[in-house]
Amino acid sequence: MSIYITGVGVISAIGLNVEENYQSLRNKKTGIEPINYFPSTKNILVGEVKLSSDDLIAQLNVTAPISRTSLLGLAAAKEAWEGNQHDASIRTGIISSTSVGGMDNSEQYYKQRLESDTPDISLITTHDSGTTTERIATALGISGYINTLSTACSSGANAIMLGARLIEQNRLDRVLVGGSDSFTNFTEEGFRSLMIYSDDWVKPFDENRNGLNLGEGGGFILLENEKSLNITNNKKLAALGGWANTADAYHQTASSPDGKGATLAISNALKIGNINPSEVSYVNAHGTGTPNNDLSESVALKNVFKEKVPPFSSTKSYTGHTLAASGAIEAVYSVLALQHNVIFPNLNYSTPITDTELVPEVNLNESHEVNVVLSNSFGFGGNNSTVIFKKA
Amino acid sequence: MYINACSTISHQNSFQNENWINELVPLDIKSELITPDYKEFIAPAALRRMSKIIRMSLACSKDCIQQSGTETPDAIIVGTGLGCLADTEKFLNNTLTLTGLIPPTSFIQSTHNTIAGQISLELKNHNYNITHTQNSLSFEHALIDAILCLNEEDSNVLVGAADEAIPLLDELAKQFGLDEITHKLTSGASFFMLSNNKTEASKAQLVDSYTVGLNNSSPGDIIDDFLKRNGLTIGDIDNVLSNTFGTVSEFEIMDTFNATPVKPIDECSGYYFTNSAFGMHLGVEMLAQNSSKRILLYNTLNNSNIGLTLLQSLEA
Amino acid sequence: MENLKRELKEQIIERLNLEDVNVEDIADDMPLFGGGLGLDSIDALELIVLLENDYGIELTNPEEGKEIFQTVNSMSDFISRNRK
Repeated sequence: MSIYITGVGVISAIGLNVEENYQSLRNKKTGIEPINYFPSTKNILVGEVKLSSDDLIAQLNVTAPISRTSLLGLAAAKEAWEGNQHDASIRTGIISSTSVGGMDNSEQYYKQRLESDTPDISLITTHDSGTTTERIATALGISGYINTLSTACSSGANAIMLGARLIEQNRLDRVLVGGSDSFTNFTEEGFRSLMIYSDDWVKPFDENRNGLNLGEGGGFILLENEKSLNITNNKKLAALGGWANTADAYHQTASSPDGKGATLAISNALKIGNINPSEVSYVNAHGTGTPNNDLSESVALKNVFKEKVPPFSSTKSYTGHTLAASGAIEAVYSVLALQHNVIFPNLNYSTPITDTELVPEVNLNESHEVNVVLSNSFGFGGNNSTVIFKKA
Repeated sequence: MYINACSTISHQNSFQNENWINELVPLDIKSELITPDYKEFIAPAALRRMSKIIRMSLACSKDCIQQSGTETPDAIIVGTGLGCLADTEKFLNNTLTLTGLIPPTSFIQSTHNTIAGQISLELKNHNYNITHTQNSLSFEHALIDAILCLNEEDSNVLVGAADEAIPLLDELAKQFGLDEITHKLTSGASFFMLSNNKTEASKAQLVDSYTVGLNNSSPGDIIDDFLKRNGLTIGDIDNVLSNTFGTVSEFEIMDTFNATPVKPIDECSGYYFTNSAFGMHLGVEMLAQNSSKRILLYNTLNNSNIGLTLLQSLEA
Repeated sequence: MENLKRELKEQIIERLNLEDVNVEDIADDMPLFGGGLGLDSIDALELIVLLENDYGIELTNPEEGKEIFQTVNSMSDFISRNRK
């Protein structure tokens, strides 16, 4: 059965919508800058969405309290859903994903609690991840199958995969899938405690990479089957080509040096989609810029593609690592690559990793037809996912 | 789909006790989580870092592996409403009170998928590994995913749900005006080995599971439709297990189920987001002890979100 | 030096939650990682926090820890040379 992508939406450090993101990617314009919107006294580099939560609340016409994670998710979901109608004969669902849910509000609550006897209790009501998604569903008028996945940094990719499987098994006809995460002190301190937060601009796949920059944002895509398309008459932007999720089962935070889980995810996704490795035009890598991830992912790419690794890049050099949103945001970028036959450059790269010697795409490449894009998302706990997109 | 193992840690004497459903006692304000000696299930080096939710989940998972004899499940699927709260709170407090470098362990263990990830690590399992978190429907969504897996190429799926209570929840419940006895906040974990193969270990069958989030239609219609899709009517159901906690009135329940007896699980499980998994284990044991043929789990812990799960006996 | 070693052992047991281990169980020259005490890379990060917060010694690269954290002897040597 074919599953089509008929809507895309994204908000990130490099733009408030799909078009702005596309132009930034083309123009090698990073969104990672010294922290500005988030209340912080630190001098750190973050891929912030360039709008305050108050501005987002006003633009999206919702009421506080609402977590920034919900706001970013809603902004992206709204763009992907735009123009679609509710129709009782189309079974419609939404699957979002987040790693920290309403943590931006929760950390305010805990701060108030330490300082006063009367913290604002409404701030903690947005904590749970399920509520984060329900706020998005409510704003779009979706009821029925409403679900949230949380597998750290692979969450967004897993939401796409679950949506596809629900359509394939005839439980849904149309499903909005994606994810969002806002920047929080909690996650920044967390990655810092693991000693993988870089105070320089992130350098994915470079020998001298020294960690990630956090970002924030939301990404959503609309998936439809033929039955739904017959009613909506939506334009097919791309199709899903395959998907897989595997466990590395190596370490709680680190990826295995032999790239076992990642290798399995990539090869299983190709197998499910019946796609030959040589057909892959572009790999949108996970490429967080940590010493461990980029080495393990490079090894996995070589395991699967041998001497013929396709052009690849990490767009986290533009957005920062948006955690649960990353798989969804990069799904939108993958669709853009297919639509415009373009491969996006990897920023801040200069020297290949000694052990693998892979060289990412560093210039905007428009010289080839892009027919198949493979996107990797790997998370904590060894959660590895690959989603493949192809021309419709 | 066969249920080849069930394991629950709860405020009841449910763990590795075949007769637990006949020993159920209503919870009182002092009742506590009844836990096994975790060292029998988890190596000390790993155990020392684990919070309650991970300990419960790992012990139940390993118990399911033993009961079913399935060493390598084809998928590991977990549902949790609030995830690893104790470690989340610990790290959060540290970020607010400590200066300089903060100990990383509680951050590592704070993510929702620590549970499923730790199970895969312990079992050295490289297969599908996922975590659903949709408040009161987290378990049903995990179950639906397990059904998808079994309809694909998988033969055996380990699926379960867990939630842990922390003191802050009691504090908040009080401020929201919830009664501390009728809404006793508890912790619990229940895991199951689902399989396409009937074995000597098989206890009952899982027929289907279904959710409606942000519901805007009549629960009675949703139940009728669900049963109809499975070729049944409400008359075919011997028992309903429900966790209403007063969100739905007794009158409405009677109106919906007519003559079918409805057994509330609330007073035995206590209140946690994934207590419908406790209900599923209870239902499986009722079917295994031949007291009913078909059981419907009706999850209305949050009355705008409905979860339905249909179980039947091996003979049905 | 002996006091520092004892203090380190107590801190290791407390910070790393080594419930069944006593100070006497950790010999000065016992490997802390791999065999011996059986610590892992998460523990190494916890020990980096310990160095910074209790002894004012900042490590910027986790790789540096490998040498320093070999045994209680190597830790106490490093601390006595570098503590502020």
